Amino acid sequence: MTSKTMWLLGRLMHRHRGGLKLSSFVRSASCTAEGAVAPPVDSSVTAEQAVRLWAQHFTLHGISEPLLSSQYIIAHVLGRKTLDGVDRRRLKDPLTDTERVSVWKLCTKRLTSMPVQYVIQEWDFRDLTLKMKPPVFIPRPETEELVGLVLEDLRLIRGESYGTDLRCLEVGCGSGAISLSLLHSIPQLRVLALDQSQAAVCLTRENANRLGLQDKLEVQHLDVMGDTDALLSKCGPVHFLVSNPPYLLTQEMQSLQTEILRFEDHAALDGGLDGLSVIRSILVLASKLLKERGRVYLEVAPCHPPVIRQMIEETMPGLLYLETRCDLTNRRKKVKQV
Amino acid sequence: MSSLLLRILYGFSPPLHRQLFKWPFVLAAGKKDLIDLPVLNEEDLEEQFVRGSGPGGQATNKTSNCVVLKHTPTGIVVKCHQTRSVTHNRKLARDILREKLEVEYKGEESELLRRQNESIQRKQVKRRKVNENIEKKRRFKETLNAEDFGFKSQEP
Repeated sequence: MTSKTMWLLGRLMHRHRGGLKLSSFVRSASCTAEGAVAPPVDSSVTAEQAVRLWAQHFTLHGISEPLLSSQYIIAHVLGRKTLDGVDRRRLKDPLTDTERVSVWKLCTKRLTSMPVQYVIQEWDFRDLTLKMKPPVFIPRPETEELVGLVLEDLRLIRGESYGTDLRCLEVGCGSGAISLSLLHSIPQLRVLALDQSQAAVCLTRENANRLGLQDKLEVQHLDVMGDTDALLSKCGPVHFLVSNPPYLLTQEMQSLQTEILRFEDHAALDGGLDGLSVIRSILVLASKLLKERGRVYLEVAPCHPPVIRQMIEETMPGLLYLETRCDLTNRRKKVKQV
Repeated sequence: MSSLLLRILYGFSPPLHRQLFKWPFVLAAGKKDLIDLPVLNEEDLEEQFVRGSGPGGQATNKTSNCVVLKHTPTGIVVKCHQTRSVTHNRKLARDILREKLEVEYKGEESELLRRQNESIQRKQVKRRKVNENIEKKRRFKETLNAEDFGFKSQEP
């Protein structure tokens, strides 16, 4: 039903019933791409009831993580990050009109399989809350471990306060998660972040401004697979390079979940036939850009480490393969080279 | 969960009957809200990260980031998905585990249990007092009303 039809129906009902308060009966008439319609609601719905109602509705329409999605969205409307953070009594109160409209609007977006992070337009990464905006790649929890690894390694090499004058290059910054996380932990760090997507460049800059880190971060719209000399002229030598580059194999792309396929930038995921096309370019750049004993930290696919090691040994004499670390799920790997 | 601060001064070994677990204990001093909690050895821990089904990493976009932490010597398992950051959930899981270990180790002597019981008792006393006050006020009002009527009936 279109909203025009609803309005008309509403006027008829009002005339017919005299004192009937229309505002107490709201039917959301927005349709999703697949034709899924939001459930009806009345003005007395409590936060708790809304969570259950939408969880059921998501389940009905095959939306993944139905309960979590509902909880995160409604908590967000109530000004909290998680439902745990909402006062118990608040959950049993009816939602205000504004809150109810907001919940229905956001949950309807989730019905299109839009990732929760894009629906609420934010997500957390380690200590930071970052703005999220499609189609810029949403940072994954595994990448939080990459940042932890980098910090741990830098402390080992340079001491507990990371030494003086530290410069870093991030390739493929996306929303700025890695760079901003590092800048947040290391005050003397200066970062140059690159991304081939203008949307990512803008979002990283926006997140840097929101966090007050804009003076320590330079973001450039550059493709690491482009002309190396042009790249080198724009980037000075750095102490380390970090990246969560696209590393999926092209053939893996088609079996990805709807949330990713429909909303996230495929260029942030697709690493070519062997998943190594961007990684290769990063390593070539690293061999020319790293200071003496500088390091590269990469998140890669589980099948990559031996191939990368071989690639470096055979074609990149300036680099030395140091270590592979597994993430918590023992799937993704983080590799280090110098 | 009340915030617990810890200051490391020195460690000492637990009583003989508990030597099996070989935990260094940490003494906390100074502020009265500090409790000595067992220090965790990462070797004693098995950690799992629940990401739902799927390949993980870039290939997955899920919001679930539940951390499951098992303390192998005691078999105690803690689950945590309180925050949207897996790093924070890992830290919180360890904090919760340390509290559970404190109770497990100390049993009836557990400082945590003692404080929780004290807190419950304080709340009960408070509630009793509030109810008593309400009752007093109600009775006072009744006497006022009674006087009021009495006064009115005396009017000519």
